[in-house]
Amino acid sequence: MTILILQIVILSLVAAAVVLWALYFPYPSPLIRRWLPPRKRWPETQIRTWLKQGGFQRTFLRHFYSDPERIAPPGTSMLAPADGLVTSTDVRGEVRYLVIALSFWDMHVQRSPVSGTVLKVESHGDGFMDGEGREFAFLREKSCPVQKRLMIAADCGQVAVRLITSVAARRIETWVQDGEAVARGQRIGRILLGSTVVLELPATTKLLVRTGDRVWAGETAVAEGLTAR
Amino acid sequence: MNGFFWNCGHLGWGIFALAVFTGLWWLLSDLVWRLSSVRIGRLAVAMLIGWLVGVGLILLRFYLGNR
Repeated sequence: MTILILQIVILSLVAAAVVLWALYFPYPSPLIRRWLPPRKRWPETQIRTWLKQGGFQRTFLRHFYSDPERIAPPGTSMLAPADGLVTSTDVRGEVRYLVIALSFWDMHVQRSPVSGTVLKVESHGDGFMDGEGREFAFLREKSCPVQKRLMIAADCGQVAVRLITSVAARRIETWVQDGEAVARGQRIGRILLGSTVVLELPATTKLLVRTGDRVWAGETAVAEGLTAR
Repeated sequence: MNGFFWNCGHLGWGIFALAVFTGLWWLLSDLVWRLSSVRIGRLAVAMLIGWLVGVGLILLRFYLGNR
């Protein structure tokens, strides 16, 4: 009798695991989620469904709001202000725009690329645009995406960091104010959900990354040779 | 097969092993499918062969144990 009960318990557990699999398919069952990398643990289609419904899985939000410590490399090179993929390094006028696209699975806290003083925190924009097809839309005078622009003056020049929203990201938090001193790699703000961060540099700076490179906020050196504009 | 389905008041070890192995193999296939970038057809064939080998071993073990 004991053996039969034990067998029934084991079979029930296996059956429950299979039922759980069927209930969550095509998304991963909670039983195997922990062994999957973030991108597979929460597929994009699932996140977009949550966006429409307005509810998110708690484990996803925990991952999304994670804010790991970062160690800035020694030296004076400028650091990436955000985690993500470099999608453009175009020069327009005298400014080089280093565009970093953040995905749903990237850490969303932004960090200062240089040590210096925050000159100004500006708010721009009135729309929410999808990441695709909005190339340099952040520079438009009107109907540009909602964004914050932080101008930072370092000893040897000036840079600006734009935190830009997307359709999904509808909130930006900035954690520094006008006149505040910031250290290289210090946290300066956060965009909630997938979005874009643009680092504005003088066109004369030497870039250390290329389009398609992956960068980490406060850890990846992206440029050097900052001089006064 | 005597004792394969039912044996001395409990499920036969043969059918029990088959059921547990099939369930766990199914879940493992799902995990492998999510972790690898291999084509679904190729993965399905590989997992089917693995399942057949497992079932064969269970049947062989049952056969040898009851000889």
